[in-house]
Amino acid sequence: MAAPLTLLLLVAVTVRAALYRSSLADLISERVEVVSPLTAWKRVVEGLALLDLGVSPYSGDVFHETPLIIYLFHFLVDYAEITFMLADVITAVALYLSVKDYNKQVFRKQKYALEADRYPLDCLELIRSPKEMQYIPLKVAMFYLLNPFTILSCVAKSTCGLNNAVIALFVLSTIKGNVLLSAIFLSLATYQSIYPLTLCAAALLYLLQRQYIPVNLRRFSFWWFVAQYAFMYLGSLFVIVGLSFFLLGSWDFLPSVYGFILSVPDLTPNIGLFWYFFAEMFEHFRLFFLCVFQINVFFYTVPLSIKLKEHPVFLIFMQLAVISIFKSYPTVGDIAASFIKHHKASSASSLNIFLVSCVLLACSALFPVLWHLWIYAGSANSNFYYAITLLFNVAQILLVSDYFYAFLRREHHLSHGLYLKRKDGSEATLVLK
Amino acid sequence: SHAAIKIQPMRQFFSSGHTNNWAVLVCTSRFWFNYRHVANTLSVYRSVKRLGIPDSHIVLMLADDMACNHRNPKPATVFSHKNMELNVYGDDVEVDYRGYEVTVENFLRVLTGRLPPSTPRSKRLLSDDRSNILIYLTGHGGNGFLKFQDSEEISNVELADAFEQMWQKRRYNELLFIIDTCQGASMYERFYSPNLMALASSQVGEDSLSHQPDLAIGVHLMDRYTFYLLEFLEDIHPSSKANMNDLFKVCPKSQCVSTPGHRTDLFLRDPGSALITDFFGSVRKVEITMETINLTEPIHFVNEERQKETYSYVDQLPVSEIIHQKPKQKDWHPPDGFILGLWTLILLVFFKTYGMKHLKHIF
Repeated sequence: MAAPLTLLLLVAVTVRAALYRSSLADLISERVEVVSPLTAWKRVVEGLALLDLGVSPYSGDVFHETPLIIYLFHFLVDYAEITFMLADVITAVALYLSVKDYNKQVFRKQKYALEADRYPLDCLELIRSPKEMQYIPLKVAMFYLLNPFTILSCVAKSTCGLNNAVIALFVLSTIKGNVLLSAIFLSLATYQSIYPLTLCAAALLYLLQRQYIPVNLRRFSFWWFVAQYAFMYLGSLFVIVGLSFFLLGSWDFLPSVYGFILSVPDLTPNIGLFWYFFAEMFEHFRLFFLCVFQINVFFYTVPLSIKLKEHPVFLIFMQLAVISIFKSYPTVGDIAASFIKHHKASSASSLNIFLVSCVLLACSALFPVLWHLWIYAGSANSNFYYAITLLFNVAQILLVSDYFYAFLRREHHLSHGLYLKRKDGSEATLVLK
Repeated sequence: SHAAIKIQPMRQFFSSGHTNNWAVLVCTSRFWFNYRHVANTLSVYRSVKRLGIPDSHIVLMLADDMACNHRNPKPATVFSHKNMELNVYGDDVEVDYRGYEVTVENFLRVLTGRLPPSTPRSKRLLSDDRSNILIYLTGHGGNGFLKFQDSEEISNVELADAFEQMWQKRRYNELLFIIDTCQGASMYERFYSPNLMALASSQVGEDSLSHQPDLAIGVHLMDRYTFYLLEFLEDIHPSSKANMNDLFKVCPKSQCVSTPGHRTDLFLRDPGSALITDFFGSVRKVEITMETINLTEPIHFVNEERQKETYSYVDQLPVSEIIHQKPKQKDWHPPDGFILGLWTLILLVFFKTYGMKHLKHIF
């Protein structure tokens, strides 16, 4: 598998390099769908320039990156393009390795289940064979690298690429079973933007499963492991935050980064849901709705973890999708990260993937059109743009729920047989309520 | 026999010190209900023109057009009194700055002469050091300011500085400043240039009041001070010998309700020796004589080489300092403690993950 992967990496790097050299690079780095106030490259350069002038980069509303990014780019600002291409490559390789490892585990579990005769006889066609899953890791890596959203995000030099790299490394270390690295990468991801906190539950569930510790709230071993993981996670988070303090000698990165993510002061239009609401909200309701919107991101953790506690890897991808839809400043880079799940479930059971994909494509095409009409031509207004944003997010939510449904249906078939029968023997279909 | 040639000195001819007269008359208010301010300015214009100053030497600035205003029931007229005795608009009014051109900037530019080269002569105050200038301002004012066009103000400090600029550029010989606004005396408080004489219609804290409304036209036609000033000036003719002391007596408190003020401490001559026509008229001194007059001594060209200090523009800039002493931009570097801590942690994690046995290979 190394050769096709290398070929794929070369192709991806070539495409990105070609786009960097063209005139589209400047155009793309201005687009609001691709960069947000959190991830824009322009702001990183501005922050570094402010630092060279002796001013804290967090003064004013320019720079909202974490101090580790300052440290990284202080030395790499001239090689920024290579850095972002490398980040994409790392993400793809990490995903490749993690999917390969996960496939191995899936096959092992299947083998045990087959030997234990746990599958009903008529659903053998649903069982995955190594042959059909052979190319899945490569396809996942290809899907990520050659995804136009990823390419756009990389060419715009949005630091979302770095976020995605850290999350991919987190996924890799979790699937490999390395508790320390998983905690560390998760804390790095949380340190960058707060939302990967929700992946904690998924990682915990997976690692518990891997170590054969049953998820029983009354068992000591469960709590002991949770305590260990939480200690490692929180410890590394505090260490990283403390280190960031020592970089600049002040705590102003805390309100600038985390205060900014949580309190959403910047209402530049993006492909998310926050800006429009908060632009027209009355001041005295703002805090309430802010809490509502932010809780919405974290809220799905508990129900999803309860439902998917047998399938934590799927849970990770679900959570990623939820984060990328509901976070305060989403960009297409986050959307790209959430599309990784496409190769996990078999698409035969999903209802309307084609329709939803068409909607997503159409919305992506309409974003620049309506932006131009609103800002430059003046014949549209923010409602038009927000409508397309809403439609995009609705399509994404439909996609997520479709995959969820497909996954659950497959699991149900695997446990109850392919041809469902009601108690009286008539045919039944499965519906997601 | 041939006539005896007598040489007479010229001292009497130039006793007043000025050779030409200018007038800058400004009305700063717009809108129909400020009819009286336009009437004020036009009445002074009329007097000044009647007494001999030509239009080419008058800069008339009217912020609004009352004669042709659609609310004027008597179009093409501006009256000073409801008896309609005097149409101060006349037949030959030449307005130099009209409507929105009457701004503080334009006024100050006219005074100081700093106008763009494309400005026509009719809009310029082309005075010299032998000019006597009359400046008349009217409108709405307050303590230390005069409102222009309902949107900006000129302060007494600005005005005083403008006059100082005029003095330094030798743009006047003597200047008479008359202002008819509320608290007008505050506008001449800050003058500090020589040869200025100022009159105002009211003291600080007092309002200047208008004279009478005309119920047919519907507005007040004129302000009290200027009404009585106009009455006073109507009695002046070009050869009149009335002097400034008479002008100070115009509109006492009984008639004006406010207390007119004046300021003569900066004026180098005795106000009693300054004639009204020195400012309001353009009196050409004509003396018919049959005698030869020796004007000046013949001019001797002084041919001495005076050491002219060449002070080029470039020398005034500290160029060498700028070039050679640019402060080196200090680049920010992360603190060493941070780098140390970060890499120690990374190494620790690395060894923890991959086992301590690799340490053997390093040490």
